[in-house]
Amino acid sequence: MNFVHLHLLLNHFPILGTVIGVGLLLGSLLGKNQDLRRASLIIFPAMALMAIVTFFSGTGAQGAIQKAPGVSDALITRHQGAAMLALLFMEITGAISLIALWKSRAAPRPPRWDWSMSAVLLFSLLTAALMARVGTTGGDIRHPEIRTGHEEVAESSTFGKIVHRFEPSPDKFAELMTASKWWWAFMMDMHFVGLVLLIGSVGILDLRMLGFAKQFPIEPLHRLVPFAMFGFGLNLITGILAFTGMSAFYTYDWAFWMKMLAILLLGVNVAAFYLTDAFESVATLGPGQDAPPLAKFIAATSLILWFAVITLGRYIQPYSDTITVHK
Amino acid sequence: MPPLFLQTIEDTALSTWLRESESPFAFYFVLLFHTFGLALLVGANVIVDIRLLGIARAIPLAPMQRLFRIMWAGFAINALSGVLLVIAYPTKSLTNPDFYVKLTIIGLAIWVMYKLRTNVFADATLSESEMTARGAKLAKWSLLLWFAAITAGRLLAYTYKYLTYPS
Repeated sequence: MNFVHLHLLLNHFPILGTVIGVGLLLGSLLGKNQDLRRASLIIFPAMALMAIVTFFSGTGAQGAIQKAPGVSDALITRHQGAAMLALLFMEITGAISLIALWKSRAAPRPPRWDWSMSAVLLFSLLTAALMARVGTTGGDIRHPEIRTGHEEVAESSTFGKIVHRFEPSPDKFAELMTASKWWWAFMMDMHFVGLVLLIGSVGILDLRMLGFAKQFPIEPLHRLVPFAMFGFGLNLITGILAFTGMSAFYTYDWAFWMKMLAILLLGVNVAAFYLTDAFESVATLGPGQDAPPLAKFIAATSLILWFAVITLGRYIQPYSDTITVHK
Repeated sequence: MPPLFLQTIEDTALSTWLRESESPFAFYFVLLFHTFGLALLVGANVIVDIRLLGIARAIPLAPMQRLFRIMWAGFAINALSGVLLVIAYPTKSLTNPDFYVKLTIIGLAIWVMYKLRTNVFADATLSESEMTARGAKLAKWSLLLWFAAITAGRLLAYTYKYLTYPS
């Protein structure tokens, strides 16, 4: 398996996932079905996470095929710009979905349709449209038979022409990220601040479930989760910006990919916590009460994986120079 | 030229090994533990701070004194790993003014943490409102100082004059 395979495998998730999510959301409106709505709110953040890894795998795919006959740099650049814009909207959709989920958790009755749901609907529709463009511009790279133009970036549709004006130029964007040492230092600083907020909030909840400081009732500690998400959001933004600045540096580094794998597994971990009865089983626990084994297992996995993420992040630097860069 | 004792430290076997070894357990391993320590120390302290500032009020305050153990453990890890990092690159750190700024900020932050422990959490008879009244100002300083400490630490990677002793 190489980066091309990885990219072609991963790209189905954010593209199809967004369409499925939008379908469920619209279906929930027609049928006033709460379960469908909830399902769409879970799908969007999951796809937002998958979209990041898909985006990251693109640099490796580019490195592998850009010298092949019939592959045009202009088409790759257009696809990259489209992917950056779609990724932005996908992340916004995922973030608002999490806010909507958090609000519905606090409500005693099924959630009413409020601003967060309207925003999810709006952004998911925009994301689906942008994802479709990412898919077609990506397909154009390798499938000359379906190409409408030739070597030049031909915008066939009005939609493409309009959207293209908002798409960043990948090379200029990368230069912008690395132009100033102080901007880079600021991003890395924020990445550490995010780390502290995340580990602090998640860590104390996990430790309590594992039996440390049992004087704490669990439900109040769970209210720190928005802080953890804020920290994760900071790291997601600074992480993506850092990647776009030095994509070749990160792409050919095994520690970076292991870190991404650990983050995806943490996504599974969070899903396991909320979608099994683990969360229900601990939410009512008061001082001194012991969490059931499943909740303990999920808490232990979360702690191990977060420390693995820190470890792998720290090792990105030294090993990066030991890996040959395929140019 | 920087003072000669920096070169003496750099020439020791420990310093050379930390800096030059290809082993994954050399420099970056120490740096990793410095990050673990940061996560424990500041992660736990930030939770206490934001609770004292009125966030997630449903969390009972008194059990938070348990978190000070985590903070002290994190501090111990970072004091030890910090010394090793200086031994690995003495010229790089000790010739950088930012290094002394960072140490001063950490000293102040640890002092604030100690005051939180003794003024707010040591007296079990205090009510929660008395605890927040006593702790709110310290909590603000704590957040500010830890943010500054992380920033000063991060800047060490971008502001040094010499990486090793100039030849």
